[in-house]
Amino acid sequence: MSMIRTEHVSKKFGHLEVLKDINLTVENGEVICIIGPSGAGKSTFLRSLNQLETITGGQIFIEDELFLHREHDKTVHSVDKARQKQLLLEMGMVFQHFNLFPHKTVMENLMLAPMTVKGMSKDEVEPLAAKLLSDVGLSDKADQYPSKLSGGQKQRVAIARALAMQPKIMLFDEPTSALDPELVGEVLNVMRRLAEEGMTMLCVTHEMGFAREVADRVVFMADGIIMEDSSPEEIFNNPQNARTKQFLQSIL
Amino acid sequence: MKSKALKILKSIVSAFDVRRWEKKSKIIAVTLIALFAVATVFAAIKPSEQELMDKASPQIRQELIKDETRSRRHVVITYNDLYFINYASFTTSGVNSISEKYVGFAGGVYHADEGAWNITGQFINYTYRMLGCGQSMLYGAKLTIVLTTISIGLGLILSILLALGKISKNPLISLPCRAYIFFFRGTPLMIQIFCIYLAIPGIFEGFSWRSLFDSDDPEGVFKGAFVAAIIAFTLNSAAYCAEIVRAAVQSIDKGQYEAAKALGMTYGQTMRKIIIPQSARRMIPPVCNEFVMVLKDASLVFVIGLMDITTISKTISASGSYLVFIPAMVIYLIITAFFTYIFGKIEKKFSVYE
Ligand SMILES: Nc1ncnc2c1ncn2[C@@H]1O[C@H](COP(=O)(O)OP(=O)(O)OP(=O)(O)O)[C@@H](O)[C@H]1O
Ligand SMILES: [Mg+2]
Repeated sequence: MSMIRTEHVSKKFGHLEVLKDINLTVENGEVICIIGPSGAGKSTFLRSLNQLETITGGQIFIEDELFLHREHDKTVHSVDKARQKQLLLEMGMVFQHFNLFPHKTVMENLMLAPMTVKGMSKDEVEPLAAKLLSDVGLSDKADQYPSKLSGGQKQRVAIARALAMQPKIMLFDEPTSALDPELVGEVLNVMRRLAEEGMTMLCVTHEMGFAREVADRVVFMADGIIMEDSSPEEIFNNPQNARTKQFLQSIL
Repeated sequence: MKSKALKILKSIVSAFDVRRWEKKSKIIAVTLIALFAVATVFAAIKPSEQELMDKASPQIRQELIKDETRSRRHVVITYNDLYFINYASFTTSGVNSISEKYVGFAGGVYHADEGAWNITGQFINYTYRMLGCGQSMLYGAKLTIVLTTISIGLGLILSILLALGKISKNPLISLPCRAYIFFFRGTPLMIQIFCIYLAIPGIFEGFSWRSLFDSDDPEGVFKGAFVAAIIAFTLNSAAYCAEIVRAAVQSIDKGQYEAAKALGMTYGQTMRKIIIPQSARRMIPPVCNEFVMVLKDASLVFVIGLMDITTISKTISASGSYLVFIPAMVIYLIITAFFTYIFGKIEKKFSVYE
């Protein structure tokens, strides 16, 4: 069973065609890294999956269920509202700029969504949140406000916050790009652990070392198209596409 | 050159900082205030009528004696402001009055022409007046504070709805909100007060603001007008606060909306739990500003017969005591300082997370 499958997904902002015919399948437990130059549409693609952007055309399947089908900016088919909410909750997202809630403590950041969205009681959420915090190594920061944390700590909290909703798929949009170099490692370690635990992950990243080591597949995206999609060894050691070669040369 | 001017300015400012005063200056200040207070208390003790009669000049006494023989109707001694003492006799042929300046102090009567008493008399006179006015001005201050606090409080609640409505993408919601804000910011508050006070009873037959209260209550007219004023001020400040709320809400990073949406929160939940609490902190300084504006605009209630600090002090000044504006301004300053302090405290409380 595939967790996510997209078919012919396209997205236009006005006349700017950012995504053109994206076909990607993410299997259960798979870790996929998306790499590519700036403006390739990587963020837009991730955001289209969890409906932060609405696609212009194509189909999105979640757990083999047709979630959304649109053509020419018109919805052809969509699951009903209740199911839509349910399916979206299976995706957690981590942003480049953390987007923690600054007016809530770390613990409250973790507990807010499970309580308001899932209607869980405080007693139910608290142990779960505490466990997640200790998993990311921040138990001692539970009562701090985000402003008191370093970038790396913020991002670890953001990961824990997304995990508190118990998603089946995690989307990461350049989670380490806004961090000082010495803080990148702690976040990547958390992500690596998550991958080892079998989480399905879709990561947009510029950390080629991480992609090479952790990813099951690496997708190279440019100009709104998936140019190449294969194993990390293939992509990094023996890229087929000319654009991929050019890109890898430019960053290495 | 510039730094010298700054130095001078600083030294002037620090002169008003009580904490920096030397001990000697403090003692002088306290003594002056104490003297002032004692003098005021003494000044408030009126001399008896007999005392006044005894002090009267021969001329006046003669008048009084003459009155005995004539068909005297009244002898009226008016004791104005502790300063002018009028001996007036009303006779059939008319009013015969002589007025002389005396000073009543601690039950005694002193001739105001006796050198020092002239100045002292004036001083006591004004002090007493101010105290007397102070009382009515405190009444005005109460009206000002209650009116401002209630209308800003209610206005804020209304303004959140208006602001969210104005931001809304649905024109059926945003257009009415826009129109409301445009209307209330674009027309004078005074006319709005008039309209609500006069037009509503005009539209709803049989309704009058007074009828909201017990018909036996002689204060009913004022209470009714006060309700009308609160409604007008609430509707008006809601429009102004709505712009404050809108600006604050729109200043929140859109990443906050995205994070909330990615966690499955609805728009309503996002607003209530994420956006409004964060905007609240940013709203406090401009709302404090609006509060202080309304505090002073409260004087407009005079158009419907209510008296606030400004109106009362203007009325008092009409009888000649222009100094009354000093305590009026002091009261305003105290109220403003108090509420600025409160708003500052609230802001601090909201800023714990920064
Ligand atoms: N809301 C928007 N409105 C208009 N254009 C947009 C919008 N969001 C993104 N774009 C455009 O879409 C293109 C792709 O953006 P996207 O953020 O997906 O790129 P990316 O691959 O994530 O790049 P980066 O590595 O810089 O994050 C860019 O040219 C960008 O300017
Ligand atoms: Mg991006």
